[in-house]
Amino acid sequence: MDSEPALIQRAQKGNHEAFAALVDEHQRYVYNLALRVVKDENEALDLTQETFVRAWTALPNFKGQSQFRTWLYRIVTNLCYNRLPNLRRSLNDLGDDVMEDIPAIASTFANPVHEMESNETRKHLHQAVEALEENYRLLITLRYQNELSYEEIASTLNLPLGTVKTGIFRAKEQLRNSLAQLEESWITA
Amino acid sequence: MDNRLKQDALIEDTLKSQPLAPMPRSLTLDVMARIQKDKRPAILTWNDFALSFVIAACLAAVWFALQNLPPLMLAKLRIQSILLYQDFLVNARWLIPSLLFGLGAILAALTIPMLYQMAVDRRR
Repeated sequence: MDSEPALIQRAQKGNHEAFAALVDEHQRYVYNLALRVVKDENEALDLTQETFVRAWTALPNFKGQSQFRTWLYRIVTNLCYNRLPNLRRSLNDLGDDVMEDIPAIASTFANPVHEMESNETRKHLHQAVEALEENYRLLITLRYQNELSYEEIASTLNLPLGTVKTGIFRAKEQLRNSLAQLEESWITA
Repeated sequence: MDNRLKQDALIEDTLKSQPLAPMPRSLTLDVMARIQKDKRPAILTWNDFALSFVIAACLAAVWFALQNLPPLMLAKLRIQSILLYQDFLVNARWLIPSLLFGLGAILAALTIPMLYQMAVDRRR
């Protein structure tokens, strides 16, 4: 089994088998990212396929300055921008006013620790993630599912680092509010 | 505060443990079929070769013409070009600096964004 740099090198020279191995390796992550953003299975499949076709075309220009996977995420994100014209603008509009401290959430918690850890809470949070705006879903997916650092996300999306931090902070704040609402509903029930 | 930390920990944990969406089907065969159909574009296309050939032919024609012009006509050409240059100096003093500046600006516009992008990529 060849290492990824060796596969990339062979694919750059036109080796189809090596490229197929790269597609096998990365398609799940690319598809997942596309699906989280566009929220449509068929569209996500189309975007994933288009991403790899474009990657093949542009592969001779890939100099290895970034990781191959972040390079793929950049391609799929650009394709998402084409499908969702407001996505790019909404990311740029995030600004970079990262708040250091989190404002207290007005809620009266009983002792929901054991409930918090329940599957119900997780399910609720997963739904809350799905309900986030597309720009926040993109940032959250890149950070937590594709496991990119803030710097890598900034590089992939061509955004200032502060904007990425702000976006993730706000997304988590929305999740926190959603969690607080769930806890309140437990208390009042 | 304690609650908030617990909330944060739970959110972080939930986000990290959220499973990847399962793929309805593998796309490898589809991608490979498309790749085999659409050939990867060559670095130099036929258009590039054709354009290079035309430019080279024009330069060769100019050089050949200058080499074969009668000496009298060559001298007349030289005189006319000197007169034109002096006319520019007298009647359109800013024309040549403006042209040079424009040329420089075009070259800068073509190269600076590319160099800047390269510098940014390298820093990353």
